Amino acid sequence: MRTSSSVATLQGRGVRAGYGGCEVLQGIDVDVMRGEVLSVVGPNGCGKSTLLRAVTGLIPLYGGEVRIDGISLAELSAMQRARLCAVQPQVEAPLFDYTVGQFVLLGRHPHRRSLAPASAEDHASTSRALEQTDLAGFGKRSIRSLSTGEWQRALLARALAQGAPLLLLDEPAAHLDPGHRFVMHTLLRKLAREENRAVLCVSHDLNLAAEFSDRMMIMSKGSVIATGPPDEVMTEPHLHAAFQCDALRVGMNPFTGRPGTFFAS
Amino acid sequence: MSTTARLIFLALASLAVFVAAVCIGPTQLLDLPRLFDLLRFGASTPELERASLVFWELRLPRVLLAAAAGANLALGGLLLQAIFRNPLAEPYLLGLSSGGALGAVIALAAGATVVTWPALAGSLVIAAIVLLICRRRIAADLPSLLLVGVALGALAQAFTTAIILRFDPGALRSILFWLMGSFAGRGWTEVGMLVPAALIGGAIVFLLHRPLDLLALGGESAHHLGVRVSFVQTAGIALAAVLAAVTVAACGTIGFVGLMAPHLARRLVGAPHGVSVPGSIMVGAILTVGADLAARTVLAGTELPVGVVTGAFGCVFFLALLHRKN
Repeated sequence: MRTSSSVATLQGRGVRAGYGGCEVLQGIDVDVMRGEVLSVVGPNGCGKSTLLRAVTGLIPLYGGEVRIDGISLAELSAMQRARLCAVQPQVEAPLFDYTVGQFVLLGRHPHRRSLAPASAEDHASTSRALEQTDLAGFGKRSIRSLSTGEWQRALLARALAQGAPLLLLDEPAAHLDPGHRFVMHTLLRKLAREENRAVLCVSHDLNLAAEFSDRMMIMSKGSVIATGPPDEVMTEPHLHAAFQCDALRVGMNPFTGRPGTFFAS
Repeated sequence: MSTTARLIFLALASLAVFVAAVCIGPTQLLDLPRLFDLLRFGASTPELERASLVFWELRLPRVLLAAAAGANLALGGLLLQAIFRNPLAEPYLLGLSSGGALGAVIALAAGATVVTWPALAGSLVIAAIVLLICRRRIAADLPSLLLVGVALGALAQAFTTAIILRFDPGALRSILFWLMGSFAGRGWTEVGMLVPAALIGGAIVFLLHRPLDLLALGGESAHHLGVRVSFVQTAGIALAAVLAAVTVAACGTIGFVGLMAPHLARRLVGAPHGVSVPGSIMVGAILTVGADLAARTVLAGTELPVGVVTGAFGCVFFLALLHRKN
């Protein structure tokens, strides 16, 4: 099952945004369709995380437009936006002793009335999200007792429990071991293919991005250098322009035929 | 033990502490059997009439006032700890008590005898300044907002000290007693201020329980989950400020309850605000009623400011908390 409609679930046109009047994003176009994984890569400080903040309304747009499911971001209420778009944030250490189960159940907030107890559907989504992130036995554990990798999976579980068609992730594999990295990215691809979600994943790992995404977007200094299928955009000229590193070489993964990067020092 | 069972246990503990606080005191006119008689038969004998006077005019308003003060401070602490994502946040850290104290001593210096309203005005002025600053930069930087509160508190304290030094020794004693917080000599007027504040405040905080959960776990994630972050933050800080202001105005400054109660409540009933809101209210009430009971019974014949008792407990608690954090 690929795209169900021709309209992108996330559509950004000429997005300009930044902090305190200082423009970081200088007119970004971005589309994420249902059924696909789009990876956004680029050097530190190129505006990847700022892009996530801008398209979710966390920081004001200086220009351009963002639409989620065809509706302008400005017209969506906070709750409507949360039902359409879930975000896995970067890891921030938890301060309070919630259990993993309580924490993931909070992902259902946009679907609940303020004093209503959790419904059967809320509990079902929560346990499903825990299973998908390999945290099934962790429901009663304190979130403060988790390792960084487990905590990162709990953050993803909460975003999954939110049940939104659009899923945005900020470096979801940053603290994971290779095994869980593989599982995480396989899961993301599955969420796109089988659940027909639109997945945008900010990543620092070029090889993982090339391996698991349908399209890649390479950013540098607040602009897009190239967008397209990994084997078209992950080229040495693009990477050298983005990362300012001539030692980067592009080869091929002998097992999958996907492009991969190597250092030639 | 389930969470509901823990809440019921806490409610029973509160009730026990309240009854003890009503029955124990320097005059022997009201003890537990007499309290039962009084509640059953009313003031039917001369003896019960005197007990009734003690009950209605001294003990009951005092216990209600202490309980409401504890609940208000605990709610303020719970709100601010979630909003600032800082386990050490509490209402007085925002300079509210110092503002109230300054208002009170200015009034006393001007010859006033009732300091409730000037103290309320002083606290609210500080709260308004903090909120004005917070409207502008709250989402950007929460720690510096806390520092603004601390700085304003230090400023108010400096003025307070400067004014106090001009009082004569007799007045100095009474103002010091007020500054350390006390439930002595208050009555139904103050109860009429604090109890409704606690009930309304508790209901509002309870309504906000899930947004507070989400805020406590990260401001950006709360936004992504549909919380109107700056609205909840501003409303929460304003509510904590008002609750602390009326409490300071009615009872002086009672330190550390706002810090201790939410922590104890989270340990007893769990972190989610759906349970830690009622939990904190009850723990706060137990702490202040218990501290007041200790303040008026530990030293025979004289009464300690209740702030001295909570301060002594608070210090130990604070160190234990830091120790656990490290």
